Amino acid sequence: MKVSTALCSAALGVGLGTLLLPGAALADTTVSPATTPVGGTVVLTATTCNPKSGDAIFRVTGPNRDQNVRSTTAAAGGGLSAELFTAGFTLGTYTVAATCGDGSSAGSATFTVTPIGAAPAGSGGGNRDNGALAAGGTLLGGAAVGAVILFRRRRPVSAVA
Amino acid sequence: MWRRRTLPAVVALLGVTGLGLITVGLTADPAQPPRPPADAPTRTQPAPDLAPLPRAAPVQVRIPAIGVRAEVVPVGADATGVLEVPPLDRPTLAGWYRHGVAPGETGNAVLVGHVDSPAGPAVFFDLGQLRAGQEIQITRADAQVTTFAVDSVRAYPKDRFPTTLVYGPADVAGLRLITCGGRFDGGTGNYVDNIIVFATRTA
Repeated sequence: MKVSTALCSAALGVGLGTLLLPGAALADTTVSPATTPVGGTVVLTATTCNPKSGDAIFRVTGPNRDQNVRSTTAAAGGGLSAELFTAGFTLGTYTVAATCGDGSSAGSATFTVTPIGAAPAGSGGGNRDNGALAAGGTLLGGAAVGAVILFRRRRPVSAVA
Repeated sequence: MWRRRTLPAVVALLGVTGLGLITVGLTADPAQPPRPPADAPTRTQPAPDLAPLPRAAPVQVRIPAIGVRAEVVPVGADATGVLEVPPLDRPTLAGWYRHGVAPGETGNAVLVGHVDSPAGPAVFFDLGQLRAGQEIQITRADAQVTTFAVDSVRAYPKDRFPTTLVYGPADVAGLRLITCGGRFDGGTGNYVDNIIVFATRTA
């Protein structure tokens, strides 16, 4: 009876551990900042990797990109870090999956490469008032017709004949 | 007899007035786009529990409060990495940032439109008039219509564009509408601000 209870508890523990591990693993890799304009630099960190086990490898995948980045420094808060320069990156969201030097997975994180700066969405408008232009054109047309009538009236009869 | 004197006077009056109106028409100051007040109220209701929609490009945007009903075309970024906008000679179009999520997917979908063009006010001219709670409806290529409620409308100097708030991740389906606003700088040929509408999906 005790054996079966112990087995049951162990199974429950393994099950819970299996359920909880992926969530815990997700927090083991971070990208800062999580959003960067294209050309910006992000810092990849595998917080649980032990520097003594060797370099961590960050696999970066996303729009038309699949590259490995090797860690270069020990992170201040623990783990290993690398800087990633996003010049030439296609805009979009990328996934970073880290593997520690001992081969263990250090989870994953995402970051987004965005357009640079603001949106150029205006031209200052046209320096013209189309209503006034239309009314002015109509009046000028009327004036031109009147001028033609006046001109014809004032021409000598012999010239008309 | 009176006609002989009156007609020339009328013709002269028409001519002078017409020339005056054309001068006014050619030199008039362009209309200024509305600017959202800095203390405009913000909608704070939590997002309703809606299942995210699959990806489908938006094809039309409707904003009844300011009379917008516009076709939407996909846009990306130019060679320097700056967000593309629809061509100035088609100022009634809105652009959807195709490298981001689609309206209705989890995350912030981004639409951009001109505030004006050489022909006058453009598709998002009145964006600064929108207020919290007003609706934005997006028709998608899969024929689904998804509705967003405005959370806030803000003006940001272009050199302090809130990249993370616009393009950053989100747990719910959001929408960002972007246009230009503020003072027009004739030296650079650009407005100094961006007007940004923040909205959350409600249906």
